[in-house]
Parts: sequence; C-alpha cells; structure tokens
Amino acid sequence: MTNELSRERRCALLAEAQRAELMELADACLADGAQVRLLVGPEVGCVTAQVREPVLAQRFLLGDVLACRAEVEFAGHRGWAMRLGDDRAAVLAAAVLDAEAQSGRPLAADVDLLCERVASRRELRESREWAELAPTVVEFEELT
Amino acid sequence: MGYSGARGGLEAILAAEDLVRRKRDHAPAPWASTEQITARFRLAVDRVMGEAGLYDEPTAAAAFRQAEGDTLEASHLLRAQRSTLPRLAVSEPVDPDEMTVLRRIVPAFREPDGPQLLGRTSDYTGRLLERPEGPPQPPPETAAPGAAAGPAERTEAQRRPGRFLDLLRKNDLAVEGRTADDPEPYDITRKPARPPAERSAVLAAMARAESGALVALWYRSVLGPDGDVHEITLGELRHGRLPLRVRHPHTGNPVAVGEFRVTEAEAVEDLDGADEDRTRFDVGYGLCFGHNERKAIAMANLDIANRRFGRSGPLEQLLLLTIDGLDSGGFLEHLKLPHYVTFRSMVERKQAMRAAAEAGEDPPARVAEPAGKDCR
Repeated sequence: MTNELSRERRCALLAEAQRAELMELADACLADGAQVRLLVGPEVGCVTAQVREPVLAQRFLLGDVLACRAEVEFAGHRGWAMRLGDDRAAVLAAAVLDAEAQSGRPLAADVDLLCERVASRRELRESREWAELAPTVVEFEELT
Repeated sequence: MGYSGARGGLEAILAAEDLVRRKRDHAPAPWASTEQITARFRLAVDRVMGEAGLYDEPTAAAAFRQAEGDTLEASHLLRAQRSTLPRLAVSEPVDPDEMTVLRRIVPAFREPDGPQLLGRTSDYTGRLLERPEGPPQPPPETAAPGAAAGPAERTEAQRRPGRFLDLLRKNDLAVEGRTADDPEPYDITRKPARPPAERSAVLAAMARAESGALVALWYRSVLGPDGDVHEITLGELRHGRLPLRVRHPHTGNPVAVGEFRVTEAEAVEDLDGADEDRTRFDVGYGLCFGHNERKAIAMANLDIANRRFGRSGPLEQLLLLTIDGLDSGGFLEHLKLPHYVTFRSMVERKQAMRAAAEAGEDPPARVAEPAGKDCR
C-alpha cells in the first residue's frame, strides 16, 4: 500500500485517523528537533456542502459542515490537513504527518502504515455495519 | 436589554438567566454528556443540524443540552455559532449516487436495482410505550433476527444501489429536464432569496427549513386552498453517508476530508397538465442533513410542486419566506418583549376615537393602504 498511496488518499486517511494515534506519531516526528513553522491555522471553520442533485443535475448549497484545517512547513516540506470537527491539535498533527510523508524522512513509512491501519479499520467497520443491516433487507409480497 | 421603547431591568434579566443555568446545569439528575445526547437523542440532534444548516454532531448536542431540548432554540444557538466561523471552502459538487446507504426503500416498486433495505426503523411495528425501570440488559451474544445464515455478502450494488429515477429513465418514463448549462448555486446564507428565485435557492431554503413548517406546507399544498392537486408517490427514500471533498491546495485534486449523513427522497409526480408530457413522470428532489425522513419527503414533494405551480400561486413565496424556523420563531418570540409604547399608542387612538364619537364628531377618514399593498 505504501508505494501506491497518493497525496490525496493519505490526506483522506489522516482525516479519518484517531486523535491519539496522530499526536503520538507527530510527536515522534518532531522529536529530532526539525524546524516546524505554522503557515495556516490550525483554524476551525466551515466547508459548505455543494450538491449536484440527480433530477435536473443542478447544484445547490445544502449547508455547512464544521471542519478544521492546518498547514505547516516541516523540515523544508509543506504539509496540509483538513478534518471534520473542531479538533485543532489533531489537524495540526495530521499536517505534520503529511509533511513527514512528503519529505521522505525516517518516519515517512510509519505515516503510511498508520494510513493502512485506518483503511483496515474502515473496512472492518463497514463489514460489521453491513452484518447488522443485511438482515433488514426485505422482499414484501405483492397482493394481486 | 436594548429593545426599542423600553430599557433597564438588567438585574432581573441576569437573575432570570442565572435561574435557567442553575436549574438546568444543577438539576438533581445525572449530567447528560455530549456523547449521551448524540447516542440517545440522535434524531433530535440531526434535526437541529439540519435546521441550523451546520453539520457537527457534538456541537449540535451541546446546543440541544443548552436549549433544554428545545430544537428551534438549539438551531438558533448553532446558527449563531456558525456565524462566527470562517468559510474554509466550498466542497466539490457532491454526487448523491455515492451515498453509502444505511436505509433505502423504494415504496413505488417492488424490485428496484439493489435491495429494499429497511435499516434502523420502527415504521412497520406498533407504537407501544416502553417504560423500563432502569437501563436495559446488554443484548444477548446471539445474532440479530435473520442473521443466522452467517456473514452477509457485501457488494457495491448493495451499499450504493442504483436510484429509482435511473430506472424510470431507462424505461423512458421520466421527463428529461437536464440541460447543458450549470448555473452557480444561490447562497441564501449571504443574501436572502426573494421570488422569483432560482431553484437552487428554494432547495437550500428547504434543506434548512424548520421540519414541522415544511411538513405543514406540504400538507397544505396537497389538501389546502391553493388547488395544486397532484398525485403523491414516494419513489425512493434513503439515509446514508456521503463523502465531502475539497480541492487540495497543493495538488489541485479533490481530497475527501470526511463523511456526513443525509436523508434523500425522490417524489414521483404524475404529470396531467395540458402543457405537460402526460406520457411520463416528473420527479421532485429532497435532501437534508442527518436522518429526517419527514423533512426529506416533504422537500421532494414541494420541489416538484414548486416547479409546476410555484409561480402560478403563492407556493414559491411561501417556501422562500415562511419556512425558516429562525425567521418565523424569532418574529413570534419577539412578541414577548415589552411593547408598552406600541400598545399605549393603540389605546390612545381608541380613546381619541371614543372622545370624538361622544362629542358627535364624524370619525376621521380611514387612510387607505398605499397603492399596490395587498392588505389582508
């Protein structure tokens, strides 16, 4: 998975990772004293959900989703992250990990391993979810 | 207190607010945590998110707790909170076909593409009140009813089934309204929409409407005085998760930053107008934050009703001007503020009229409403 992970895919998985695992790995990345500089945030705001409805294929604005973003320069590389919710520390850690992965520094592979764990967890969650939902599939009989 | 015509009362106002806080926050009952509210009152939390127009479960739960369970007040708190936040981005257009369904039913057709998935619902069972003495016992380790056959096969078609509208299209039963143009969506949070308005403004207004107001307006449109008689068939109803994507600032490519839950409905309309294609159906669309089926169904029906009758009657105006809970509720609530000066002037007018009548004077001529103003 490590070789195939695109920047966007990595960002998406870091957006889904748990706070504790992000912060633990980010702390480890920062432990060697590499310079880190905040470029944006971390700031809490909204992402406006724009939907293209399927009937006339017209776009409309459904509403806002709470989100948090950060951008850093770390060891000479820029890292960016956005996550839903308002956890500033988690999004800052995710931005550091994005920069670590971009830089190819020693823990870059660990960032991708973390992403792999997040992806596996998602797969497991969806399997369990479907196991709960599947018994509710119904075939009503038609009275004629 | 800065309302016009009265001032002062600060000490009493602070004491009243303090009473709210003390009775609410120090009630002789266990504290309701945010997690408890999102888990046990999820439909209320979803309703608050939808009516506020801001999706975040913990924030909506905090508002619900602060508002002591008053969903409109909670939406007010949430919308006020939202007004303090910057807009970080407008998402890439979300494609509802990407929805991972948690519930999906097609009442119009027995065998649609993909499953009829009841999901988490008590729609088909009697409403009997349960009053347990305490927390229920943990569920047994045995599998849920119907799950004895082992792990369920999970396919893309089951989690993201084809929509009923596409089936109608495939059978040439739906009118084609899609065009090549792609107008920018109207942003009702920046500028109030007034009729005549683009459809995107009406859809946005309905998406954050007060649920009861939308249902009531739908009921009026079906049974009420406007004469917009139309068949009502619910084509499809879904509850599920959609991905939210923004442009990555470095690569310029879309990146998913999370998922949000929505309820979606399609209302099938039997076209019967003289200038309509009576060999096909048309479809109305409803979508709102969270799990709120009544709202999505009402929205879908009102979308098609508005496209057919919105400008030949009052419907578009009603949708744009009367269904926002903060607008209507706020106006109503302001009536509780002191209106001493207003009412005193009304009393003085009555007294002047009475004095004139007692003196045998003719009453002053009634001043007509300005031209063009419809006085009801």
